[in-house]
Amino acid sequence: METWEIATTLIAAYLGVTLLLGVLANRRLTLAVEDFMLYGRKAGFIVLYLTIVATVHSAFAFLGSAGFFYTHGIGFWAAGAWTVLAGAITYVLGTRIWALGKAFGYVTPADLLADFYESELVRVTVAVVSVVFTILYIQVQAQGLGYIISVATGGRVSFELGTLLLLIVAAFYLIAGGLRAVYWTDVLQGIWMYVAVWIGALVLSYELFGGPLQLWREVAAQRPDLLTLPGPNGFFTPGMWIGMIVTLSFGIVLQPHMLIRYYTAVDAKTLKALGATTPIYLMTLYIPTALVGLGGAVAMPNIDIPDRIFPELLFAHVSPWLTGAILAGAAAAAMSTLDSVLHSNMTILTQDIYRRYVRRGASQAHYLKAGRLFVVLLLAVGYVLTVSTFDFLVALVTLSGAGALQLLPGLAGVCFPGRRTLTRAGVVAGIAAGLGTLYLTLVVIPHPMGMHGAIWSLLVNGGTALLVSAVTAAPSTGTIERVHGELEAFVYGSPKLREDGALPSGGASER
Amino acid sequence: MPIRTPRRSHLIPRTRDGRIAAAAFLAVFLLALPPVTHTVFNRTEPWLFGVPFLYAMLLVVYAALIGILIWVWRRRL
Repeated sequence: METWEIATTLIAAYLGVTLLLGVLANRRLTLAVEDFMLYGRKAGFIVLYLTIVATVHSAFAFLGSAGFFYTHGIGFWAAGAWTVLAGAITYVLGTRIWALGKAFGYVTPADLLADFYESELVRVTVAVVSVVFTILYIQVQAQGLGYIISVATGGRVSFELGTLLLLIVAAFYLIAGGLRAVYWTDVLQGIWMYVAVWIGALVLSYELFGGPLQLWREVAAQRPDLLTLPGPNGFFTPGMWIGMIVTLSFGIVLQPHMLIRYYTAVDAKTLKALGATTPIYLMTLYIPTALVGLGGAVAMPNIDIPDRIFPELLFAHVSPWLTGAILAGAAAAAMSTLDSVLHSNMTILTQDIYRRYVRRGASQAHYLKAGRLFVVLLLAVGYVLTVSTFDFLVALVTLSGAGALQLLPGLAGVCFPGRRTLTRAGVVAGIAAGLGTLYLTLVVIPHPMGMHGAIWSLLVNGGTALLVSAVTAAPSTGTIERVHGELEAFVYGSPKLREDGALPSGGASER
Repeated sequence: MPIRTPRRSHLIPRTRDGRIAAAAFLAVFLLALPPVTHTVFNRTEPWLFGVPFLYAMLLVVYAALIGILIWVWRRRL
């Protein structure tokens, strides 16, 4: 068999397994919205661990990070800092979000913010920001998938057809099994992508250099500019380093598909264990991609598209079976993020928009049907965005990574009680000012004064929220006492009881 | 019974272990940020564990941060 036949067969086998998991998940599905959208809030450690790491690491981690090391050198090792920080944020913030979701029955991030700030404007703003900025992730992941299929088949399956095929597979198992199908496939995808990237990098380093340590020596001898900061193109300045760490740690955690995952945990103990241990997986995935990127800069310099260094090296130096298995791992990385974004956008559109403003009081079955139709709609939108070229999309994709970051001041106001609180006007004004600043500092004048645009936007957002909150009406005392009282009891009350998932007095049961 | 609004901030840890954990995480995390990364760590020599100094030191820092998170988890903080 030729390389493309083996690669295509392995990817097809992988897709077959994900479809099978979707069918199996469908058999376990009940007609409850919480089951379809939140896994019945019963996700345990292993499932949640692998779905979180698989979702965080997308096609970018698999292909793009190697390209980053290839182009800008060792500076991308800052990735370790933001993955560890993301774990700490999960530990501190994620558990609080879980506690409030459990107590008050929240399903989406907008539920939490709208309830505390007592504002439908906050709900709609958060829902729109969440969908607009993450729908672009569908495009990014679908493009990665189309590219992987196109490469694996040696161009026999076009980029457009490959994209459509994989979007349909992801949508199928999501429609069939809801979040349960997404989680089960993420377990497979999380294991596959991690094993694939490590094996691929080690095989390449032995094949090309005689081992990883020899690879490092060769890079030092031939491309020493790749091994110090700010890198050969001067990219990793101190401002960019800090900016990327803040943007990619908080930016990752505050994405709606991650926030929704916090609601799904069976208890707070599970989330704390995840916060402490997911950085091990997340950080160590960048060790092999550093080997691929830096080694590739020596072994295969001057390729046109640096993001393609991994597959290019595989096709040139590794056996067809291994190449196929690793490309299937790359597809897994992209699909595990794609299905999560499809699911979160479906959930937000169904819960925050359709259920609130289009059709109130319908049956659970009706909302499940609506959710499935939204998946089809998102699939169509994602496909059109992927295969079309719109100039405005370039700017939006630039903004997308930092978009979710704008929820931080509002979320902090809910989850970290203090003597003063933000107001609904402050939160909305902060998000608007932050998004405007983001456009200015990422698109119009990129990274002013060497500082990442996301940091500027966060500063303006937080400052605006505080200033406007100082002169506008705060949420009612009853709401503040209910929500912050819940957090006080969760964090400092009777921790053991709370971690086991017991509802407090004054929680959802008494509302 | 409604729960009273807490008047004490949640931003400052209230227990001794909590304060130790927060201070330790912050102190070690500063080693992964400029100016340390762009000055003290920013060189290839001496090589540690067979890899360049900058890469090795950051790996040590990240491992220490994960260690702190695991300590916090084991202490049920």
